[in-house]
Amino acid sequence: MSTHHIHTGRFGSRAAGLLVPGLLLLAVGPASADRLERHFKVDARPVITVHNPNGTVIVRAWTKQEVAVIANRTNGHVEVYAEQTGNRVDVLTHQLSDSVAPDDMHADYEISVPEDAELQIHNDSGTVNVANVLGDMSVETVGAAVDLEDAAGYLTVKTVGGSFQCMRCAGRLEVSSISGTFRFIDVRSYNVRAQTSTGNILFDGEFLPNGMYHLKNYSGVIEVRFSPGDSFDLSATSLKGKVNNEAKLTPPSHPQHLVQRFGNSLFGTFNAGRAKVELTSFNGTINLVKRD
Amino acid sequence: MGMIGCEEFLDQLVPWMDGERHPGARAHLRDCKTCRGVVEDLEAICETAHSFATAEADPPVRIWTAVRAQLEQEGLIRSPRRGWIDSITQGLEGIPRVLSRPALAAAYLAVLIAVAFALGRPTDTQVNDNSWIRSTRSSTLPLSAQLDTAEEAMVSSLGGLSTLASASLHENLAIVDNYIDLCEKGVREDPQNEVARDYLYEAYRQKADLLAQMNERGDDGR
Repeated sequence: MSTHHIHTGRFGSRAAGLLVPGLLLLAVGPASADRLERHFKVDARPVITVHNPNGTVIVRAWTKQEVAVIANRTNGHVEVYAEQTGNRVDVLTHQLSDSVAPDDMHADYEISVPEDAELQIHNDSGTVNVANVLGDMSVETVGAAVDLEDAAGYLTVKTVGGSFQCMRCAGRLEVSSISGTFRFIDVRSYNVRAQTSTGNILFDGEFLPNGMYHLKNYSGVIEVRFSPGDSFDLSATSLKGKVNNEAKLTPPSHPQHLVQRFGNSLFGTFNAGRAKVELTSFNGTINLVKRD
Repeated sequence: MGMIGCEEFLDQLVPWMDGERHPGARAHLRDCKTCRGVVEDLEAICETAHSFATAEADPPVRIWTAVRAQLEQEGLIRSPRRGWIDSITQGLEGIPRVLSRPALAAAYLAVLIAVAFALGRPTDTQVNDNSWIRSTRSSTLPLSAQLDTAEEAMVSSLGGLSTLASASLHENLAIVDNYIDLCEKGVREDPQNEVARDYLYEAYRQKADLLAQMNERGDDGR
């Protein structure tokens, strides 16, 4: 699809819009703050990319088959592009000149998308908040925190120091960070792979049959909560830290990896062992906690 | 020094590739077809790596995939750890712009030889702690030097990033450096501990990955 539909945008008093085929650009004088709103008609499963150095990116799903981009700038040192190419909408914050200070490269976005949209978001600092989007998603940040709610699909999140929280997420989750803390709340994911060096990891979700759950850190706390009806095979190892367990495990039916020779390890089966849970830390604490 | 066995020869493989060729190792190589094959393959790889200096070909992925396949075929590494090797090489793939191709290739080679040492030995074999330390250091020292060089280049190229992002990258770089130090200490304390070594290699992979991100963002900011 190559057409796009443009509603009347609302601009700040000094805003000037420049429209070329397939490209929308907002560029104004350096002192102003303003708001840009643009709408793009899209087909099923559109792709939306967002590149923003600093600011808040909020993405919400709605029932319309279109993408709405609302950009708020706090200063006039940046341009905001919203461009449609086929079934893809690219949103980009760009500096107006080379002399712009990096800290002025700031914009906030509110983006509405169809729920089957695929998202690719880069936002170095600030926050990223996505809700009700069921398509695949890739989010990369440096220090920005990432919050997902009711997301599904294949979700990959990579931060350097930003925290990550996922509420009621499904599908497949891959999360990595150096110092970010992770929280998985009420997730129903069949595959979770999370790795952070110094952050804590909390997993308070369901263990689906045949699901794989790999949580790894270097230091910090890994806490996994379980219910009496859960069913999983557990492998928990902290090389120099502690492993605390409230689950009544039966011995594993198969010999374990030689990692058992090192550190504090716990291997066993809870109920029928339908899911596989692997928890690894170097000198952090691993807690397997019974849910209240 | 008398003739040595395959295991001892593999212990000396890194020095051998650096030109340190003891008579015992030479004698072993004359008589052992398997080890001779390994050395020939590595020499071919080194030649290819050196050729990067004059040719602008772009073959790292292909080369290292071939190396890995060869090492697996030789039985020096086991395929279940393929993901780990991939993650090291993929992490390093991101920083070619700050490292010369031969230097990067040399770092790869060192890591791969170390992987062969670390993963190829039968786990029930009585091995010497010093040997583990030596082989681990042989793999990580060149890599560490390359990453330090890359770090110097990266730190000066972050002018285009916001204060917050730049601070976060620097803070996390310090965290990773500390992580590497602690993992190295862990390996020194318990050289045969496979988990400790895995964490050490993972720490290096993280540093390479972080430097690649810094490189990418430094470029974006300009």
